[in-house]
Amino acid sequence: MIKRVLTASCIAVMAAGYIQAAPWVKGYVVAFYDPAFRFGGRADYSRGSEIQPGVDCPHGSTVHFAVPSQVAQSLSLVPWRTPQEVEAIASPPANGLTRDPAGVYFHTWRAASAFRGYRRDIETYINPFAAEDPGEPEVTSRIGEGFNLDGKIKPDDFVSPDGEKGIDNELYRAWGCDSPWRGPDGTGTLVLRSNDKMLEGLFTIVVRISGNKDPMNDDEATLEIGYSPDQIMKDARGNVGVDYSYRILKSEQYTKLKARVKDGVVETEQADIHMPEIAWFYNQLRDAFFRQGRIRVTPNSDGTAAGLVGGYRDFRDVYTQNVFTQAGGVQGVREHEDHIALYYALRRHADGMLNPKTGRYDGISCAYRLKLVPAFVVDPDKPMGIPSRESEAGRKKAFDETAAATVRAVDTLVVQPVPPDSTELTPTDGIAIGIGGVPLRGRGRGYGENRAAADKAKTASPQPDRP
Amino acid sequence: MVPPAGPGVFTVKPSGRDTFKLVVAGHAFTSRSEIEKYLAWRAARLTIEQGGQWFTFKEDREKGETADPAPARDPEGPRYSFRMKYFRPVWRYKTTASPSWMRWSPFSGEPFISADPKTITDFEVTAEIVVRKGPMDDADPLAFEAWALSDLLINQVSPPK
Repeated sequence: MIKRVLTASCIAVMAAGYIQAAPWVKGYVVAFYDPAFRFGGRADYSRGSEIQPGVDCPHGSTVHFAVPSQVAQSLSLVPWRTPQEVEAIASPPANGLTRDPAGVYFHTWRAASAFRGYRRDIETYINPFAAEDPGEPEVTSRIGEGFNLDGKIKPDDFVSPDGEKGIDNELYRAWGCDSPWRGPDGTGTLVLRSNDKMLEGLFTIVVRISGNKDPMNDDEATLEIGYSPDQIMKDARGNVGVDYSYRILKSEQYTKLKARVKDGVVETEQADIHMPEIAWFYNQLRDAFFRQGRIRVTPNSDGTAAGLVGGYRDFRDVYTQNVFTQAGGVQGVREHEDHIALYYALRRHADGMLNPKTGRYDGISCAYRLKLVPAFVVDPDKPMGIPSRESEAGRKKAFDETAAATVRAVDTLVVQPVPPDSTELTPTDGIAIGIGGVPLRGRGRGYGENRAAADKAKTASPQPDRP
Repeated sequence: MVPPAGPGVFTVKPSGRDTFKLVVAGHAFTSRSEIEKYLAWRAARLTIEQGGQWFTFKEDREKGETADPAPARDPEGPRYSFRMKYFRPVWRYKTTASPSWMRWSPFSGEPFISADPKTITDFEVTAEIVVRKGPMDDADPLAFEAWALSDLLINQVSPPK
């Protein structure tokens, strides 16, 4: 009897060992991607002019370029502007009866916002160090998502919602009140916009986790993350479809990491991570590049998973990504954010990538959330790179040149001119920006015209007058 | 990028633990802004040389100089790397008409030196700072991040004569 039990036990152990040793693989497609900015307000609560004040941001989201008094305050820091000029710009003449777009708030403010340096001719989205700091509300909460990247528990570190101390996410502290990135359940305007573009095909990110032991507990697993050339497939309700197949490219936006799986939760080693960064236009699609990065994947009961990726990102990448996809002033006035304030906040809170030449930190700790939907992640038949869109080459070049000018400016402190094809010079609604932040009428497409109509008109043969 | 100062133009003396008194002196008055910016740049550079990341400006208020009150901490308000409007050093000057030193304080409520600039023969601008290390207290209106301030001013300032 004892012999039989022992034999049965041995068979059971061997069988369990056999099951544990089986190769396994799980795949996911990223269905939502946003900075791990923990919202601490209430979606239904505002107080006076404060938008959703909360424990994260006591006075709510930023209101830069939202009201004349706030604009006047920012422009009063510009040494060459007189108080009369400041007042005239803060309250432009448009009374609703004129159709001159150069006289309205949006164009007046975006033009003035681009020239706030110590000299009238300095474009300060490209040369932000040449302007005074207009000030940025910061996150005051102690709770934040992310990783303990430096292995230390410092007094100012965040505590994770699960109670883990030592969380390094200085990007959240610096930018967590910035209006377009703040909101309940990922409803910040740029969070929505970038995710909408991702779901519409701008870019796709996939994750593949594999191992040879038990998928729930495997200390020698592998996690891959990277760009996929395949558009995200949606179901009949518009949600990201489950179990579609996607290729993963071993491109410059791909990383393979060692990982451990414990009770289903995947934790990677700490290493550099290359993967696509958040984008809402093609011209800003590039490598996010997390130094000393980590990824965690926590499964949900419905088969989906919650991902978190963190590390130190170069502050110059974070800044240029946010500013130059269109133009600093366009985005600043539209989204109620001030990139010069964001620049100073980034530099003030930089806490990684110590530059031995300057003695300053070039990196800022950060974390991003990923909502993961099950998918089949496969290798392409043939090795391939990230496809480029020829039609967008001009805009990409404009972005790259503008970003490069900014990097030169902040690295050398030599004021850089605006590159000729820069996004900063692109007219909007027929209004360009002249030196000193002057709106210039009659440039580029007119107010209300769309690109297709303007291009068609440009290329169309002249039609003879009818007799 | 900033030309070297002539002899006696800039002096710095320790005045306590991590505390320094900085003086910029000259004979050819240009403008209040130019000279105060040069002093601010020297304060930033001194902080960096001392291994600090930021400094706090110590206001030099004499009794009764309360016309412009000290700025209050606002932990819930916007945070800054620096606020130039709170870098408010005290001046001393002599004129051709008055060879003894006269004092002007930004906290007195009196307008800036009313004498004809051409008649100013000597001036001294003084700031006392405390050099700080570690993360900046950016809720303190009198806190200045040294690198950020230096970056802003490096192309703007030159020593007075």
